[in-house]
Amino acid sequence: MTKYVGKNIPRLDGYDKATGRGLYTTDIYLPHMLHAAVLRSPYAHAKVISVDVSEAEKMEGVVAIATKDNTPRTYFNATASMFLTNLPDKPVLDQQIFSDVVRYIGDEVAAVAAETEAIAKEALKKIKVVYEELPAVYNVDDAMKDGAPQVQPDFSPGNNVCGGVVKIRYGDAEANWDKGEVFAETKVYMQRIKQAQLETHGAVADYNPKGHLKVYSTTQTPYPAKMILATIFDMPASNVHVKNPPYVGGGFGVRIGLSAKAEAIASALSILAKRPVKYIYSRSEDFLTSDSRHEGYIVSKISAMKDGTFVALDTRAYMNTGAYATLGVELAGVTGANGTSGAYRFPNIHYDGYVIYTNQETAGAFRGFGAPQGAFALETCVDQLAKQLGRDPLDLRLQNALRDGDEWWFPYPITSCKLMDCLKEAAKSIGWDEKRGKKQTGTIRRGVGIGCGTHVSNGAPFCLDYNAAFMRIEVDGSLLVSSAVPEIGPGSTTGLLQIAADAVGVPMENARFAFGDTDVAPFDVGSHASRTLYSAGYLLVRLAVDLREQIFEWAGKFLDVDPSTLDLVDGQIVSKCDAAEPHIEPTPLSYLAHQAHLRAKQFVVSGCKAPTNSPPFHAHAAEVEVDMETGMIKVLKLAAAHDVGVAVNPILVEGQIESGLIMGLGYALREEMTYQEGKGFYNDSYHKYMLPTMDETPEMESIIVEGFDPDGPFGVKGVGECGMIPTAPAIVGAVEDAIGIRFYEIPLTPGRVLKKIKEVYGD
Amino acid sequence: MKERLVTTVNGRRIERYVDPSMRLVDFLRDELLLTGTKIGCKQGECGACTIIMNGTAVLSCIMPVMKAMDAEILTIEGLEKDGKLHPIQDEFIKGGAIQCGFCTPGFIMGAKALLDENPSPTSEEVREELSGHICRCTGYKKIEDAVLKAAERLREEKDD
Repeated sequence: MTKYVGKNIPRLDGYDKATGRGLYTTDIYLPHMLHAAVLRSPYAHAKVISVDVSEAEKMEGVVAIATKDNTPRTYFNATASMFLTNLPDKPVLDQQIFSDVVRYIGDEVAAVAAETEAIAKEALKKIKVVYEELPAVYNVDDAMKDGAPQVQPDFSPGNNVCGGVVKIRYGDAEANWDKGEVFAETKVYMQRIKQAQLETHGAVADYNPKGHLKVYSTTQTPYPAKMILATIFDMPASNVHVKNPPYVGGGFGVRIGLSAKAEAIASALSILAKRPVKYIYSRSEDFLTSDSRHEGYIVSKISAMKDGTFVALDTRAYMNTGAYATLGVELAGVTGANGTSGAYRFPNIHYDGYVIYTNQETAGAFRGFGAPQGAFALETCVDQLAKQLGRDPLDLRLQNALRDGDEWWFPYPITSCKLMDCLKEAAKSIGWDEKRGKKQTGTIRRGVGIGCGTHVSNGAPFCLDYNAAFMRIEVDGSLLVSSAVPEIGPGSTTGLLQIAADAVGVPMENARFAFGDTDVAPFDVGSHASRTLYSAGYLLVRLAVDLREQIFEWAGKFLDVDPSTLDLVDGQIVSKCDAAEPHIEPTPLSYLAHQAHLRAKQFVVSGCKAPTNSPPFHAHAAEVEVDMETGMIKVLKLAAAHDVGVAVNPILVEGQIESGLIMGLGYALREEMTYQEGKGFYNDSYHKYMLPTMDETPEMESIIVEGFDPDGPFGVKGVGECGMIPTAPAIVGAVEDAIGIRFYEIPLTPGRVLKKIKEVYGD
Repeated sequence: MKERLVTTVNGRRIERYVDPSMRLVDFLRDELLLTGTKIGCKQGECGACTIIMNGTAVLSCIMPVMKAMDAEILTIEGLEKDGKLHPIQDEFIKGGAIQCGFCTPGFIMGAKALLDENPSPTSEEVREELSGHICRCTGYKKIEDAVLKAAERLREEKDD
């Protein structure tokens, strides 16, 4: 029996956040602090011949100006992949703070630190830059042509392919292809979208000329951020301190590693100025100059038997990764792994993922990390196959869905799988049997659709994953847990303390979590890959065993009983239920810890551990309404059934699912970054980027399918990204059910939908 | 050129000489260090900077600071009274309506202005009224539920 795991404990940071007390990077004001502004390239591709700062320097209030001429030229990768890429692969280090070449509109050229932000911005206008424009390339197909302009000639010689082609092979798709009797093929196109997290990127860097650098940061991976900064500035990592303040206003993948270049630029300026420097991205900078979701296209082919059994899957993905690699290469792996190959029984798989450099804003990590793209491609093809076979799409999925005990191609086993239940529950919630395939006429037409998928509970083994942590019992018997996980929103720090309190056996109100700070807390990879609760929890439950042993050993001597008969329940040392009589009088841990302290003993454990991985599974169903006259699509309901093992805090799990549902709705129907050659992306503000708002939220039902994962701490699996993955497939499938038109390109904006309706049905 | 500003913030009378070109949000955050009010866009598009001025929800990021002259301003910091959370704050915490928390102060202030004006809003009215606030984390459903629950509690408190 757990006292906290499985309960809707109100999140521990709720009070701070609801009262305005909670601090974010943007709320940090240090004495003597300067403000930064950044000069960015107006060209998509150009050589930077010279940067003349002489006029700008003369301005009153300007304290330091950083350019390629006075900052380190170290090559780095601004994402955590710089330190998490698994051997023998090497990360692509293709970025510099400021470079001799600018590779997209918005690329950094210089930065100013001044007494006020207004002065810093004014000074930018006085910096004279001489550029030599170079030919540029903006999409995957053009970039792959012979003789195409080379975006990163040093890192992708001759072909703009970033990091090499990502290949997945399982069974033998080629040899077995013709064993199938029915063949489906689809090509889908997906747009670039933006994380648009509420807090823009930011950092406050405070360099001490004695050689210590402290950086308040919006990073979702404090340790990797620290290691990247130490490399860039050639400093001992022990002299670089990265700290969330402690809250971060959303992440969604966009700040795995540095927060774009906020930390690097603030630090470079602070080193030059020898004063603290605050650099907060404007909303426009955030939209235009930080990683986005990859746009691109995916060609999927399924070979199947006439009875619907899948024989082989062949997928080729072509993704636009923009000007720099960041996490593009890893992402192509996940597109092929979790995105396309993960949820079904495919005995034969062939996947090639091409991540292509272009002269556009970089694409990198964004909730789902390539899986939403892969899932949209595969689910479109599965729907196509169902149509060819004359089968119900739900039925075909149930036939081929993975289940417990199945073999698959991943290098770790399916530890638990309730995908079948997910599919059935989602379908039931949406009213599949009553609603699917009902002929629709008139102006407003309704339909239902379904999609499913899988993801990960951490990055392993695709990238390095482990945690270090310590746990100690304070002199008053309370518990302090520490690992440098960030709190970017999901409530991981609450969930982890629920796990720790239960695992140790102390009341949660007497427990505290020190997190998000590299000087205070031991190593954590950071929040990505839906990992935090799973990976950090994986270690905490193991450390709790050591801590209890230590307590029992000392308590045994102190109380003169056999340590193996002792238990710790709710902060009291008691005899185990099954221990021989007589049982000891319950002894408060507070008393014991104090007595231990008086005898020079503290209960403290630390350790580090790499977790295994456990795949979560999920299915989403959607009901939509399409207006045949306007092309407007209204989502009436989204039903999401998730196998996440045990839900440590169900209300927080629902929060993750609902969050992903609405983000997925935006992906399917409206969000889109639109490029204008010569100008860059149009969408430089919330106003120009159509995020879903409260008035459009459909009915949502989150169904947590009861499960238990044998490897997860207390049975948990990852959930953070899952809600994003099969949403677009379900919605697009529902639109086809409503109006008989299959869309192979998202988002389904009214214009796009109406055009197609007119093509098919006439005016 | 600085101008004299007299205003009341969370019940405290403030008199300062300010740069009149300043936005109200910068005055609150930079000058008064009331950093609970957040800046999400600085263009009046996301609602994170919402405060209540003379009983109405306003976007402090596009409000010139001199508009605060002789005004009564309430920010998120002024909502908790005598160590007791406002029911909206409490319901946001209990109902899972908070994730990263960056939009939360704006949402709570927007919700307060709404419930002050309309103590019994329908679900549709809540959605309509708060649709100017962007939240990228929650999917909005739990925020809507929290506001409706807080409305119910506030009505009950009034009846008592």
